[in-house]
Amino acid sequence: MSETLSTDLNFFQVKKGLTSWLFSLDHKRIGLMYLYAVILFFLVGVVLGLLMRLELIAPGETIMKAKTYNQTFTLHGVIMIFLFIIPSIPAIFGNFFLPIMLGTDDVALPKLNLMSWWLYVIGALFALSTLVFGDGPADTGWTFYAPYSVQTSTNVTMSVMAAFILGFSSILTGLNFIVTIHRLRAPGMGWLQMPLFAWSLYATSWIQLLATPIIGITLLMIVAERTFGVGLFDPAIGGDPILYQHLFWIYSHPAVYIMALPAMGIISEIIPTFARRTIFGYKAIAYSSMAIAFVGYFVWGHHMFTSGMSGPARIIFSVLTFMVAIPTAIKVFNWVATMYKGSIDLQPPMLYAMAFIFQFMIGGLTGLVLAALAADIHLHDTYFVVGHFHYVMFGGTGFAMFGGMHYWFPKIWGRMYNIKIAKIAFALLVLGFNMLYFPMLILGLMGMPRRYYDYLPQFTDLNVISTVGSWILAIGLITMLLNLVNGMRNGAPAGRNPWGSISLEWQTKSPPPLENFDKQPELNEGGPYNYKN
Amino acid sequence: MKIKKSLRILTFILLFLSFSKLYGEELGLYEKLNDFLPPNISIIDESGNTVLLQNIIDKPTVISFVYYECPGLCSPLLEGISQVISRTSLDLGSEYQVLTISFDPSEGTELAVGKKASYSELVPNKDVKNGWKYFTADHENIDQLLNSFGYKVKKEGEEYIHPAAIMVVSPAGKITRYLHGTYFLPFDLKMAIVEAQQGKSGPTINKVLQFCFSYDAEGKKYVFNVTKISGSIILLLAMALFGTLVIRNKKNRTLNA
Repeated sequence: MSETLSTDLNFFQVKKGLTSWLFSLDHKRIGLMYLYAVILFFLVGVVLGLLMRLELIAPGETIMKAKTYNQTFTLHGVIMIFLFIIPSIPAIFGNFFLPIMLGTDDVALPKLNLMSWWLYVIGALFALSTLVFGDGPADTGWTFYAPYSVQTSTNVTMSVMAAFILGFSSILTGLNFIVTIHRLRAPGMGWLQMPLFAWSLYATSWIQLLATPIIGITLLMIVAERTFGVGLFDPAIGGDPILYQHLFWIYSHPAVYIMALPAMGIISEIIPTFARRTIFGYKAIAYSSMAIAFVGYFVWGHHMFTSGMSGPARIIFSVLTFMVAIPTAIKVFNWVATMYKGSIDLQPPMLYAMAFIFQFMIGGLTGLVLAALAADIHLHDTYFVVGHFHYVMFGGTGFAMFGGMHYWFPKIWGRMYNIKIAKIAFALLVLGFNMLYFPMLILGLMGMPRRYYDYLPQFTDLNVISTVGSWILAIGLITMLLNLVNGMRNGAPAGRNPWGSISLEWQTKSPPPLENFDKQPELNEGGPYNYKN
Repeated sequence: MKIKKSLRILTFILLFLSFSKLYGEELGLYEKLNDFLPPNISIIDESGNTVLLQNIIDKPTVISFVYYECPGLCSPLLEGISQVISRTSLDLGSEYQVLTISFDPSEGTELAVGKKASYSELVPNKDVKNGWKYFTADHENIDQLLNSFGYKVKKEGEEYIHPAAIMVVSPAGKITRYLHGTYFLPFDLKMAIVEAQQGKSGPTINKVLQFCFSYDAEGKKYVFNVTKISGSIILLLAMALFGTLVIRNKKNRTLNA
């Protein structure tokens, strides 16, 4: 670390102008560029989601036709999965905080880091261009199931290329983090002195590196089939549609852990800080991340219980799926045990962390219902699945991301948001979220099929509750974002360590200087969570 | 970067394997562009009359071979033809015509009429009655006709393995274009018809051969091998990365010590 550099300036002040951001090699700026882009696409996805809920407020055609609805839920899925959830926590907070938490000045490969941001933007442009060109956005669902995706006249090729490019962005980020964690840890920081957020990113990065190429190849195969007529997945020309489903889920199930693991990492940071206690079972949490990443590779078949697989294959996939619950439950028990007899400070980040545990548990337990073969046959194509994965993805990862935003906000901008408004926004979000998605679980059990713009009249009441929930959720989101934007501009200076945390990122100034630390940071004795009381 | 490069190579391997899916000499489509059809081929039309093919081809003509009781590829092929007919701006019946000929000599006129009735419904906006004709033929004539197009089929049990393509013939009986697959772009068809009108032949752009299989066990295995290979490469690269990181780390540590 250079001693001669003026360290009075923080990383916002070092350089100014648009190009100083767009071509910045600083991991903090790249992280923030991800933040702005991801939030932008998240809002687009939210609007699409709200439109879908509005369509479903009453049976029959309400505001859009069947095909428009199909295109809307496809675009909602593609944006939320590929542009929001997958990049959100690793690309934003991973980029910003991983080097700081490791006590170093940048990621190992800064240029590659910038390239992956650009790939992300290019992929996003591809995805959005489907809105304008040709027959409109794909209407296949975000899974692009063959053979329909090979036959529909909508812009599947473009959407698939978008997913492909975004995949590369994801691979490069993963590669970068792995090298960074292996090579750039501060002197004296062994593997077991590493913050748990870094552990979760490490597990995530391996999934990104190993699983994402598979989806890349699969998507290329779809393009080859569509444009050259090579018979791969379409039975009419000698292909096998089940093969597509296997290849797709071999990636997309591990991808669920790309989305969930970093969220668990954030929770493992927030809870010890606000419970003022050493994390319970550091090793168990760290290794369970790796265990989830590993076992998560072998469970993809549970997406295909109803697609035609042999009995033994289905039973094996079902058993393996139940096994993922073990490391996940280990984490949950450890978080709760950390809070036990702690001096809990209910600041906004802690509230989000607790909501995460509650909602993620509902998501996880409904996941076990779906992992059970017999139950899945009934529930597979119903709203139960929609409810389940929104509880995991939004109630889990989404809330963890909001928690992270509130937790690290004072570090990033050096200012504090209004705590009271943040708590009101949180209450609205929890209320709206549960009103929106819990009825879906009941609707699914009642047998309401998913993916339709229409439903039978007996499902009306719960659908109305759900749609009203979506409005409350939207108000909560707007309140939260406005509060954060206002805090960013006008908030009171926060100082280095407003939460009294002992992990490394709180030792430096807020906002951090360009090279993160003025002097080599000192590691906390007895590990990253060794709180005194 | 390594990964990107290997991905690119993988893609090429994949495409190459799929493109070179050849099944020996006895089966497939061996193009005979610029050849003239033999003058003496007679086929049986929808009213059961034997007619000379030469006399029917009086305008640019699209020819497709199917067998009417085909459980596999023929239906997508005929659907593809229906789609392109209805989407192209050319006038069916006056500017060009379509002939569908069964290569199963055991099939009779009534099957041809039935097929015509069902596919006519898919093209309500064009004059299918006079523009898209269905034929059968006897063994000798059909063999001669298939040979003249280089169109090789193989009977397996009750079913035929056969390529999917349409051929365009000029009014003088010259083969001017092969369009492969079951899905055709209106633009390609239009170009082919216009060129056939002028007697010019065009190169085949899309050379991917497609075959009719009820379930293609061999092909499926092929694709699986590709996935196995790519999977192994991904794993090997990842292990190489892990190995490099761990070994280099150790070196650094010994240097520091």
